[in-house]
Amino acid sequence: MMQVTDDIQIIKEDNVTHSFCGLACVGWMYQKIKDSFFLILGTHTCAHFLQNALGMMIFAKPRFGIALMEEGDLSKNEPTLEEIISEIKADHHPSVIFLLSSCTPEVMKVDFKGLAHHLSTADVPVLFVPASGLVYNFTQAEDSVLSALVPFCPQAPAGEKKVVFLGSVNDVTADDLRAEAEELGIPVGGFLPESRFDKMPAIGPDTVLAPIQPYLSRVAMKLSRERGSSVLHSLFPFGPDGTRAFWEDLAREFGITVDLREREKAAWEKIRQQTDLLKGKKVFLTADTMMELPLGRFLHHAGADVVECSSAYIIKKFHARELEALAGVRVVEQPNFHRQLEDVKRIKPDLIVTSLMTANPFVGHGFVVKWSMEFLLMSIHSWSGVINLANLFVSPLQRRSNLPAFDEKVWLEGVMPSAE
Amino acid sequence: MRLAFWLYEGTALHGISRVTNSMKGVHTVYHAPQGDDYITATYTMLERTPQFPGLSISVVRGRDLAQGVSRLPTTLQQVDNHYHPELTVIAPSCSTALLQEDLNQLAAHSGVPEERLMVYALNPFRVSEIEAADGLFTELVKRYAATQEKTAVPSVNILGFTSLGFHLRANLTSLTRMLQALGVAVNVVAPWGSSIDDLRKLPAAWLNIAPYREIGVNAAAYLEETFAMPSLCDTPLGVEPTMAWLRSLIAKLNAMGAERGVPPLVMPNLKAFSLDGLSAPSGVPWFARTADMESFSNKRAFVFGDATHTVSIVKFLHDELGMQIIGAGTYLEQHADWVRKELAGYLPGALMVTDRFQDVSQLIEDEMPDLVCGTQMERHSCRKLDVPCMVVCPPTHIENHLLGYYPFFGFAGADVIADRVYLSCKLGLEKHLIDFFGDAGLEYEESVAEAPVVSVDQAASVVDQAVDVATSASSAPTSSPAPVIADDGEMKWTDDAEAMLKKVPFFVRKKVRKNTENFARGIGEPVITLEVFRKAKESLGG
Repeated sequence: MMQVTDDIQIIKEDNVTHSFCGLACVGWMYQKIKDSFFLILGTHTCAHFLQNALGMMIFAKPRFGIALMEEGDLSKNEPTLEEIISEIKADHHPSVIFLLSSCTPEVMKVDFKGLAHHLSTADVPVLFVPASGLVYNFTQAEDSVLSALVPFCPQAPAGEKKVVFLGSVNDVTADDLRAEAEELGIPVGGFLPESRFDKMPAIGPDTVLAPIQPYLSRVAMKLSRERGSSVLHSLFPFGPDGTRAFWEDLAREFGITVDLREREKAAWEKIRQQTDLLKGKKVFLTADTMMELPLGRFLHHAGADVVECSSAYIIKKFHARELEALAGVRVVEQPNFHRQLEDVKRIKPDLIVTSLMTANPFVGHGFVVKWSMEFLLMSIHSWSGVINLANLFVSPLQRRSNLPAFDEKVWLEGVMPSAE
Repeated sequence: MRLAFWLYEGTALHGISRVTNSMKGVHTVYHAPQGDDYITATYTMLERTPQFPGLSISVVRGRDLAQGVSRLPTTLQQVDNHYHPELTVIAPSCSTALLQEDLNQLAAHSGVPEERLMVYALNPFRVSEIEAADGLFTELVKRYAATQEKTAVPSVNILGFTSLGFHLRANLTSLTRMLQALGVAVNVVAPWGSSIDDLRKLPAAWLNIAPYREIGVNAAAYLEETFAMPSLCDTPLGVEPTMAWLRSLIAKLNAMGAERGVPPLVMPNLKAFSLDGLSAPSGVPWFARTADMESFSNKRAFVFGDATHTVSIVKFLHDELGMQIIGAGTYLEQHADWVRKELAGYLPGALMVTDRFQDVSQLIEDEMPDLVCGTQMERHSCRKLDVPCMVVCPPTHIENHLLGYYPFFGFAGADVIADRVYLSCKLGLEKHLIDFFGDAGLEYEESVAEAPVVSVDQAASVVDQAVDVATSASSAPTSSPAPVIADDGEMKWTDDAEAMLKKVPFFVRKKVRKNTENFARGIGEPVITLEVFRKAKESLGG
């Protein structure tokens, strides 16, 4: 157990199970950076995972693929990817190729940095992205992608004080954040990543980095180390509480004092119906996307009883403000799933926010669930995301209460013959 | 090394989990890095399992490797305490297989009794899904099947039905209904729904039915060799093959019955196999003779899939529906010889054997068949080309895991397949009309035309499903005010607001436009500016 401040304790357990590996990030990153190709050096397992997780995009000439390691490749010292790279360039004409590692070549200790360097040309750089499940949680692979992009962010001159938002969001959300910043008088330098490789933002010693996703600590650290940029430490801009703190703190970095109390109040007012429903509801968050801390904090402030907020990794400094705001809530890093199952049975939460793998079985056990993955794929940032965010928690509760009574002795009969 | 996008067969781990997820009281523990248990999602999402599948992962992290520690013993203890399995299968993933650890020794450290553990360490670079599933199932049968008395009445085991199998439940229902009509008892179905105890009593049956070439035939062969149980490995797909299958079953059981002094089974009136007991068991023989199907006679079909379905579907289309077969292929190289032998005389050229979907896609593009029967991948390829396609075998898609009764086996199965052929193809007269006059009136709407290609196929995978649901969740805010003004009059949008609207995904764009205009009217704004649009979004959500 580690102490963050006096009244916050993080319970640390031994595992993250039922969550994806970093290759999953390809699903949103290739759509975000439109002139990219994502090449995974991996095995049949990686290909099978991607086709199950991201299947539909395959036939639309996807800008990702797997350099498939077969048995004969295991005995070679270094993989030879020249032909595959040529094939990709001929078919897709990418501006940049991201070379993602996976477990097998990492176990084989393939020199990815050397390999990427060797394959890079002046026209089309090949950038190494550590993404295997041996080291990182799946959303953290975005952190690896952004870190790889750092050398391609132009140097902003000293004195150019602008905010650069860290995190992949869709264009609509990006426009919202930009407009909101400008309205507050905050000059915007751009987003890392922008949607084209040649449009990455300038970053320098007077850049203020504003992380808008909670899994991007490494790129923030790298930029502050290499470019001397400062990093905003605030709440993440989710919910009325997080959004107000985020903008007030960001404005302060620019010497601007704003008071968004009224705005926050109005935003809570807009979701009053939802928070009325959430009040006192027991919510359990299992570890999946690493968005659990800010989501748990929003629920906590919305009056829900967050019975457990667990996350794959908790980075004390990066998540400090969220942890403070979660004071009094049970926070677990690397939770043990068997223990969680026992606790869920005992506590009987009203809502479980959980991964794609575990959602339906929890429903089968009589619980109401929400897929954690949905929070990654929905516009829930800042003021315009408040209603979406609240609805994501409320809709399963409402929907369930509208369904007719369910006798599991009848309606689950034979659904899963392997069940006892 | 080659560039791959999508593979037909899953991994060895997937094959192993298909068997253990089918069985009661059997668990698999993957010794693997985080994320390799993505396989669990294929069960919880495609089969929508209401219980946790018997699959756990013992996570291997980079740091553990550096420090030389393993969680495997602890995980085995936890699984044993939590699920109380009779057997836990321990399997490495592709990366941990390279570590050359002694998994038996690690497993022994768990303190779980040896007889409740089984290390099944295949070479994941050499063995894929089908071979692993069939191999493990055969191993389990060898380990548990025990000599015992035969049942008093004629009985069968149904082998090879495995979790995530194609139309598995409906096929099983179709077979058991026919067996009921014959008066044959089902002793054990395995691995689907069976326990270790069920495996023990396999030899009590008179005969083994193993209709899938991919899984179950080897277990049947072992049981035949060791316990002198005859087996029936034909596939009852199509009317004639079903008739032949029934006759063969009766003959084999009667041969045993004669030795045991049990009265012989007789083929009942075929009406006994129909759903209402009063009709022909299948509509196919009559349907095939109708003028409707006569207009199908020049249709050219291409079939690609696993071994069982490729063979059976080619025969069905050719023999029973009278269609032309322009080619066939399989992705299961290990079964290619069997497929060639079965299809001798059916194919105009050589059997295509490949696990590269691009090659199959290219062939379809070159040939432009009137019907393709294939896997999920062919379905995707055909959509691009506007070639009619029906999915007839794995790999599957959430759309192939439906709630209704759609067997492929037996008389009922023949009806289902014929219906799908009929619905998939452009109909005869309609096609003549289109060929003759062109497809006037069939243009797509504007919103469809501007759709990005990725949207062609919503919900093709587990994540897509999430996206889908996320999309629908966003469009169903529980408390945002419903549009109160239903005036359809045009409103002016400034260029920048219009540009912003373009960034909204096409499939909700129309709705967002309408809601924004209603919002603007509500607050008395005559023109949608960027500012108004933003206010609307803030007020209405997303």
